[in-house]
Amino acid sequence: MNRAPARIPAAMAWLGALQQPNVVTAWTLPQWQRVLRLSRRLRLLGRLAEQVDAAGLTDQLPQAVAQQLRAEMRYSRWRTNLMRWTVERLSETLADAPQPLVLLKGSAYVGQDLPIAAGRLPSDLDILVPLEHIAAVQARLVAASWAEAEMDAHDQRYYREWSHEVPPMRHPVLPLELDLHHNILPPVAQVSVKAEHLLARLQPSLWSGWQVLHPFDQVLHSAVHLFQDSEARDRLRDLVDLDGLMRHFSAADPDFWPGLLARARELRFSNDLALACHFTQHWLGTPMPAAASAALAESMGWRRAGLLRLWSAVLTPTEPDALPSLRQGMAANVLLLRHHLGRMPLRLLVPHLWHKARANRAKSAKDLIADTPSDG
Amino acid sequence: MPSDRGLLTLGQAGLQQISNALRGDGLWLDVGVARMRVRSDEPSLAAQLQAVYQNFPLQTSSDWADLHIDLRRQSGLRRWLAPQVRFFCDGQVPFDPFPADAALPLLEWGANWLIGRRCNHLLLLHSGVVERQGLALVMPALPGSGKSTLTAALALRGWRLLSDEFGAYDPGEGVFRPALKPVGLKNQSIDVIRAFSPDAQLGPSFPKTRKGTVAHLAPDANAVMRVHETARPGAVLLPRWQAGSATQLLPVQPQMAFSTLAFNAFNYQVLGAVGFEAVVSLTQRCPVWQLIYSDLDDALARIEALWPDVLAREAA
Repeated sequence: MNRAPARIPAAMAWLGALQQPNVVTAWTLPQWQRVLRLSRRLRLLGRLAEQVDAAGLTDQLPQAVAQQLRAEMRYSRWRTNLMRWTVERLSETLADAPQPLVLLKGSAYVGQDLPIAAGRLPSDLDILVPLEHIAAVQARLVAASWAEAEMDAHDQRYYREWSHEVPPMRHPVLPLELDLHHNILPPVAQVSVKAEHLLARLQPSLWSGWQVLHPFDQVLHSAVHLFQDSEARDRLRDLVDLDGLMRHFSAADPDFWPGLLARARELRFSNDLALACHFTQHWLGTPMPAAASAALAESMGWRRAGLLRLWSAVLTPTEPDALPSLRQGMAANVLLLRHHLGRMPLRLLVPHLWHKARANRAKSAKDLIADTPSDG
Repeated sequence: MPSDRGLLTLGQAGLQQISNALRGDGLWLDVGVARMRVRSDEPSLAAQLQAVYQNFPLQTSSDWADLHIDLRRQSGLRRWLAPQVRFFCDGQVPFDPFPADAALPLLEWGANWLIGRRCNHLLLLHSGVVERQGLALVMPALPGSGKSTLTAALALRGWRLLSDEFGAYDPGEGVFRPALKPVGLKNQSIDVIRAFSPDAQLGPSFPKTRKGTVAHLAPDANAVMRVHETARPGAVLLPRWQAGSATQLLPVQPQMAFSTLAFNAFNYQVLGAVGFEAVVSLTQRCPVWQLIYSDLDDALARIEALWPDVLAREAA
């Protein structure tokens, strides 16, 4: 039995329009203005525009609002097409590369034609291949004009030895940055996973030659991507992704919830899944069985209350005209410290942060703008 | 709070009123394709805005803006040593900071960037647009074209200014919409326009920008009053300034005009098929000329002489 939807905080109520777009017809102009500003910053405006349009409501809205929605819909559809095009080109480049080739995150959502792919603004393209194929795949990419971004020796070593991906690659014609992964978390992290576990349960996508993670693993990947990351401010979109994945996959599989919880225990991601489920349920009204919520809450143990407070402070978006609150900044710093400690042992972390601080200082000195660009 | 729209222009208002608005809820500027709300704690900005938006109404409250812009002084030691301003929009900082004494160029540049990124309900050609008798004259920006100089000169001789930067074409209605911002003039163009029209309302000069010295021509009261009045496509002019040359007007084949219009647009690719069809329709509806000129007065006389034909062709 599904638990009744929790009471959603007033500041988050607008997110309900992503599920029930009819509510937008009651919004006043100032309410719209706030939602447009917030959702644009959170990269959710395209999602909102597609939902409102699919419900046939765009024409009923004030003209200034409808214009912004139509404009963003065009923009996100164009970016999504660029992603499709890039994957198509990669199919050719990697035609004789060893299988499997796996789409991750946004490209996987498009490659499965999931409802959440509509209006989801892609920034880069993430793909996963087994570690032993990385060199072969990268050689083919380089032969097809993909190149690694320039970086110093420290950063190169960081990617090679401590990371779960190779440095981001760019192409002179294709506009999306390519992130080539061999895992979803760094191998040195406290919470990590053996890539073989993920590769053992791949599923076909709608694009030939490309696979996606198992639905459980897609949810867990999205959860660890958010809750193991260094920057969690303005990340509501990840919760919207999680909500969409859970709603979609649970509708198709009656054993979704017990299966997901078991998989999370197996991969030791229960804590991330518990956080994901808490916030999707409380802020987005994601339906889930009471037994699942209770089991997840219990799995977090004594740390639960503190973690929820921290994450709630960080994930709550700052209002458009407000300055970020001190509380949010402090919570973000605590989580950043936690992130770094979880990601790298101290013997690696201290020299890494020292190097980063020096590199940043050198960069900001270089970026001092002496001149003024103006329009042409 | 009573609406102050239409009561006073920025030029008529006191500097203090503008400053207070910038430091308070904001100053609303309606440029046609977008309503901007500007806030700032940079003291020099009020006088700069007063000069180049002098004919815009002083509007200090509204329940709507498309672009919410905040130019904020950098805090910390830098505030005193080499002060800088940062461009904020909806809590994001899309650009590097500018020196604090160049707040207006940062505002203009940033606002244009936002319009170019966001107004994808329109095809945004990169061109100057002026209007006479309901028809638009579109002048695409090509390197060395002197587009802004010619746009400014036409605006100073009674053509209605729609935009110096955006040919904002509404594919649904088949009309151009004003994107009415101050005309950005660079280097010699500033003196050319001063000499051309001693009454030209030019704002302060900003030396040492990436493009050299920049100054802005204020849109006149007529253009501001009619900021929501559209114009049907009339003609396309590809200007080329060439020192010492006699004025020449050469007809251009539509297929040549297509690539010039499409590939100079800010968002041609974003619009996809809609953009393609819009540009095709423009090249079919509008006669296209290349204008080679060195003398502004002579160039203007030739353009004015063309207009009866353009009107007759459109009516046919």
